[in-house]
Amino acid sequence: MDAAIAFLISPPAVLLISLLFEGIDRKIHARMQKRIGPPVTQPFYDLIKLFSKERIVPITASARVFETMPMIAAAVSLLGASILLSNILSGSSVIGDLILVMYLLAMSSVALMIGGSASGNPYGVVGFSRKMSMMIAYEIPMFIAIISVAFGSSPSLAINNIIRFQISLGLPLAASRPSMALAAATFLLCMPAAASVVPFDIPEAKTEIIYGFLIEYGGPYLALAKIAKAVSNFALTLLASAVFLYVPLLLGENVLLNLGISLSLCLIESLLIMFVTITVPRTVLARLKIGQAFKFYWMLPLILSISSIILSSVGL
Amino acid sequence: MVVKRSTERTEKEVEYTRLRIPFGPVHPALKEPVLLRISVRGEEIIDVDMTLGHVHRGIESLAEGRNLIQTLYLIERICGICSHSHTTCFIQALEEIGSIIPSERALYLRTLIFEMERIHSHLLLLGVMAYEIGFDTLFMFTWHVREKILDLFEKITGNRIHHAMNTIGGVRWDLTSQMAGEVKAYMREIEKSTKYIHSAFTDGTVEKRICNLGVLDYNDAIKLCVVGPTARGSGVNIDVRKDHPYAAYDELKGDFSVITRKDGDVYARTEVRIFEVFESINIIKAILDRLPNGSIRPEENVFRIMKRIPEGEAVSLVEAPRGELLYFVKTDGKGGLIRLKVRTPTFSNLLSLKRMLVGCEIADIPVIVASIDPCLSCTNRVTIINQEKGKSKVIDMDSLRRMVRRKWMRR
Repeated sequence: MDAAIAFLISPPAVLLISLLFEGIDRKIHARMQKRIGPPVTQPFYDLIKLFSKERIVPITASARVFETMPMIAAAVSLLGASILLSNILSGSSVIGDLILVMYLLAMSSVALMIGGSASGNPYGVVGFSRKMSMMIAYEIPMFIAIISVAFGSSPSLAINNIIRFQISLGLPLAASRPSMALAAATFLLCMPAAASVVPFDIPEAKTEIIYGFLIEYGGPYLALAKIAKAVSNFALTLLASAVFLYVPLLLGENVLLNLGISLSLCLIESLLIMFVTITVPRTVLARLKIGQAFKFYWMLPLILSISSIILSSVGL
Repeated sequence: MVVKRSTERTEKEVEYTRLRIPFGPVHPALKEPVLLRISVRGEEIIDVDMTLGHVHRGIESLAEGRNLIQTLYLIERICGICSHSHTTCFIQALEEIGSIIPSERALYLRTLIFEMERIHSHLLLLGVMAYEIGFDTLFMFTWHVREKILDLFEKITGNRIHHAMNTIGGVRWDLTSQMAGEVKAYMREIEKSTKYIHSAFTDGTVEKRICNLGVLDYNDAIKLCVVGPTARGSGVNIDVRKDHPYAAYDELKGDFSVITRKDGDVYARTEVRIFEVFESINIIKAILDRLPNGSIRPEENVFRIMKRIPEGEAVSLVEAPRGELLYFVKTDGKGGLIRLKVRTPTFSNLLSLKRMLVGCEIADIPVIVASIDPCLSCTNRVTIINQEKGKSKVIDMDSLRRMVRRKWMRR
């Protein structure tokens, strides 16, 4: 597919798929709790309702920042996910690389944080400081894992080069070498924190700080924040499935030529990754405290990622 | 209310570095309104100030204008969770004033409902506890189990929450042998589920959140006069059921033990409640085995009995799920009340919150507040604060209604 066309159709596709993913996640979560749960299309209804609501800006907020930040957050995460998807669709690397995607996804969290802390609500401030510590905890191992992947494959930072490298190996990257397996493990361990779900939903803990930086957002702003979160969750799962575990290659050359099949396989795989790294932890675990979460990330994923980069530099 | 943490720090420095967070009156972690003004530095709590009274409904005053039977139904509505404790306590005082002795069977049935209510209240709290630490699955599971108890209540008394079981001199509904069998079967099921809940609470991630937290040691517990599971979690061995037996507890003394834990932390208080559920199940089994025969209430019309209650006063105590509940009742001899005073267990327990909270983190607030199982009630006024002018004015129910009406007229 032509890169320009791919990039044009990507944003609506990303929006559709990521909201559908959120709906599936909520349904499975509910069934695991013996609840009936909302219909899979519930996130769409939520968004329609939120967008039709009144805009409220608190008196204490610095209005410009408060209003623009959700838009920036939604836009950058949509951009990041679209770059990723259009790269996979077009099979060329003209649009952007791994670092850009990771940067845009992190940027979306940062934008929401700033917007929330501009609301003038003390809970927003606490949420900001918690999110700051959490980002320091999980972003560093995550980036090291990505860099380790870049070293380990060809070396290249372009998503398509990594996919082609996997195809030429005939193996998913995570299964190719111990260093890559460690990098994949690090990335997957960082997923629940990046998606900020229980046990790592500390920055927006509902019963503690009432959704933290999201506390004053409502109506269209909240809808934008929700889009930002859903899209960046989807982008992370898709990234993990494309870069670490590109499964379609196991079905042989014929399948790879068919874009539809390889893409849908990739999506199913990212759904599975979402189930393992987002739905299951948030169902079976209790929320940690900020100190405990920080300790976890610097004890396990950080050490894993560093050992991965050391191993890949010695060629393992 | 400035707390000096070290002598070098001037008060002004403390003022700059701390952030004041209002916890309540409306907060997802609170089921009923209470306002805690919490000062924090970073994540650490350095001071707590508490405001009560959002819940004042004037029930005691209302009761003084009603007759005793009307009051009985009014006070059942003080609490949605321990409604039977309130009526039992009130009825006991009336029966003492009127020297009415209920039948043995009535006392046993009162005790049965009482213990079922304890199970339902404790399961509710365990669910809330799980919810506060972000463990929604355990919350859903616990409340699923609790639903069975509520169904059982409906089968026995006809109501899920306000059972209206008590009447002067007895109870209103009898327990058939078929129902007794059902209760027994349910108890076995609940015992199994509670064991599962206990194992979930001893799980690693849960323990991390509730161990060594909100510690209230033995001496503080005595000094602050805490009651019920909060006191028993700090090693204070008090239980009205053992110390001043009422209803059928005198004869059931051998069938249960008082659960105490020495640690005084949130986990201890939670564990006390889990094991009290097992004790309650034991009591219910004993009641069903030894339920005496006989009538459940006097033949005479309840209004006649009410009119025969002379002028007098009495103090009555029961062990509600949250601790000691005290009633002072003064009757006027004409079927009405001169004075009614209710001292609920949460009132005794709330002050201990300050001791538990200072030094902990923000993340611990909901868990610690939930651990004393606060039971407040509903609100009757609104405070509107105009931040531009820095003024606040209190709006009462009437003017709120007027404002609402005006808004509707404008539409």
